Amino acid sequence: MEEPSVKKSPLPWWSAGIILGLIQVLAIGLTKPLGVSTEFVAANAKLIKAVDEDYVKEHPLISEEKYQKFGYGWWFNLGIITGAFLTATMIRRWKIQKTTIWWRTNHGTSVAKRFIAGFIGGFLILLGARFAHGCTSGQFASGWAQLSLSVVPFTITMFGFGMLTAYIAYPKIPKIIK
Amino acid sequence: MSSETIGFIIGSLFGAALFLGGLADPDKIIGTLRLKDYHAMRTIAVFVLVGMLGTWILEIAGVAHFSVKPAAMVAIAIGGALLGIGFGLTGYCPGTGLACAASGRLDALVTVAGMLLGAWVFILIYAGIVQPIDAIANFKKVTLPEISGIARGFWVVPIFVGGIVALVLTRKK
Repeated sequence: MEEPSVKKSPLPWWSAGIILGLIQVLAIGLTKPLGVSTEFVAANAKLIKAVDEDYVKEHPLISEEKYQKFGYGWWFNLGIITGAFLTATMIRRWKIQKTTIWWRTNHGTSVAKRFIAGFIGGFLILLGARFAHGCTSGQFASGWAQLSLSVVPFTITMFGFGMLTAYIAYPKIPKIIK
Repeated sequence: MSSETIGFIIGSLFGAALFLGGLADPDKIIGTLRLKDYHAMRTIAVFVLVGMLGTWILEIAGVAHFSVKPAAMVAIAIGGALLGIGFGLTGYCPGTGLACAASGRLDALVTVAGMLLGAWVFILIYAGIVQPIDAIANFKKVTLPEISGIARGFWVVPIFVGGIVALVLTRKK
């Protein structure tokens, strides 16, 4: 079977970057900077509340009102899911995929291994994002937009450890269409 | 318009743009972290530069809604490292993980499940571990212009111009 290669993105980098930047400006002009990861804590807070209301009331973080309601951030994340789904469908790139090309090139076709690594990765991503008061959107992109001091240590450790991990986890390079 | 509606609209635009721009594509992200495929890095650079310039203009016009994160230097360095390891292992982050799951990637759905567990553990360890670390070297909600005393324009213009020049000089001929 022919080795799969990494495809080009639907949009070139400059136009995609301009559009993403303008969405950030729109968000800061209308409401607040882009951000995603808070709602993962909010989703948990709602589940915990259904089981043990007193725990939530006494918790120093999730007792805050923003973790209790289905507000702006919740609908923002539902929007991400909807926008990505509709776009992928419209340009005929919606496709069931269980692994990635970089993963296959380095670790073979086993889906189980990819899923295990994906689950552990997801755990670290969100735990880290909340430690850092935000993720790649809320801390990195919005931090640079606002020029916050917090974006400096975040950028160094996120890209440093990200590049190091990718270097260790993906030593072999697949064919990339440019 | 209610804030929920505005959130949904901006979120939809963001999800569409993440997908079209190739950021909601783990192969593009890993390619960039491995310094073998610069598409995602260049997209992210333009995203950041346009956001920075636009936010400065909004501030001058008096309509910017800032939400600066506290500069808890140790907690943020640790969080960035943990997120970076997950990012480099999977090629996903919270926003692109949701977008990729919505485009049919089942491994992204598994990563989103891992994120929900990560959020739960964060809640469990918040009082005992997170809060004490967050208090170390915490400069509160401060921006680079505020802490340096150098006006925002003197940050934005050199970074923006320097960034655009670097992008143009390193483009594919």
